[in-house]
Amino acid sequence: MTARLIIGALFMVGLWALVAKRNLVKKVFGLTILNSAAVLLFIVEAGGSGDGAPIMGGGQRIVDPIPQALMLTAIVIGVCVTALALGMAYRLYKATGSMDIEEIRKRLGNG
Amino acid sequence: MKARTPSAQVLTAVLCIAAASFALWPLATLDEAWPEGIRDYLESRGQDESGARNLVSAIYLGYRGYDTLGETIVLLVAVSGAIGMIGAAGSKLAPGYADAAQGQVPVAKPTRRVHRRTELIDVVTGKLGPVVLVFGLYVMLFGHVSPGGGFQGGVVVASGIVFLGMGSKGAGLSPLVGAGTLARIEAAGFLALLLAAGLGIVSGAGFFAPPLRGVSPVGYIVALNAVIGLKVGAGIGFLCIAMLGETER
Repeated sequence: MTARLIIGALFMVGLWALVAKRNLVKKVFGLTILNSAAVLLFIVEAGGSGDGAPIMGGGQRIVDPIPQALMLTAIVIGVCVTALALGMAYRLYKATGSMDIEEIRKRLGNG
Repeated sequence: MKARTPSAQVLTAVLCIAAASFALWPLATLDEAWPEGIRDYLESRGQDESGARNLVSAIYLGYRGYDTLGETIVLLVAVSGAIGMIGAAGSKLAPGYADAAQGQVPVAKPTRRVHRRTELIDVVTGKLGPVVLVFGLYVMLFGHVSPGGGFQGGVVVASGIVFLGMGSKGAGLSPLVGAGTLARIEAAGFLALLLAAGLGIVSGAGFFAPPLRGVSPVGYIVALNAVIGLKVGAGIGFLCIAMLGETER
């Protein structure tokens, strides 16, 4: 329960950055924090199902390896999303000369 | 649409957070036991069926090979997309990387560079690069028996490549840091992955299945890990080095 609440708080921090911050780079940070919160939630939840890492031969009851395999995918996709988002932010900066989302909207002429 | 005032923005954000908390609250109070059927199955049969003692490797290379193939394609597309977007914005990419972005990008000149880093970073990263590369290869090749695997090892290899790129002071670039080399390694890695996946079809075992029957499939897992690691390392290294071109000068 405590772990879930802390992860929830982390998720909210990411959401806050995504919604309230006007700087595009900080928005991308928020996206990354959201992704990390989701990854942590899966790992922590599955961690309750055993004692040892999911590697055979340790003699312990292993945790469920499926969430770990899924999160491996999620981390890679998260890196891809971050790289693309930063690329887009850079492109917007080059086009408008600003990282501020309101300023960009104004300068692109539909503000 | 008129620009939002800061207070309206904060109000929007607070409402968003409140709505998200309300929606996620059941998740925090959920009291279901973790389903253990699949865990027990993997614990008893996973190693024999896939050959990997590390059951995470067993899943993403043995049972769910398709996912891994899709994942590497996503990574490939993201790297090409990011390079294309940065290059098309008129950015200076590192020397040699302009070919990757259709050759119309002004390339940063290796001469006339301002040092924004201290000598210390140059020396330390240059010396540390090969060590990190070796560790990355270890993580990659021993992914079936210990924590690690192709993706994790690949990212370590990529950071080794970035170290080499940072430490080589522009002029004396290590050949490994060259755009052509990395792009070729990535392409060869992807081709090898497709070939390794297709081998099973030729021998009648099926797509993404170990091609030799009656032999322990552990060698197949090691081969897949190595191929994926090289591909991921070259891809992410390529992306980072290409981005370094702008900040370095």
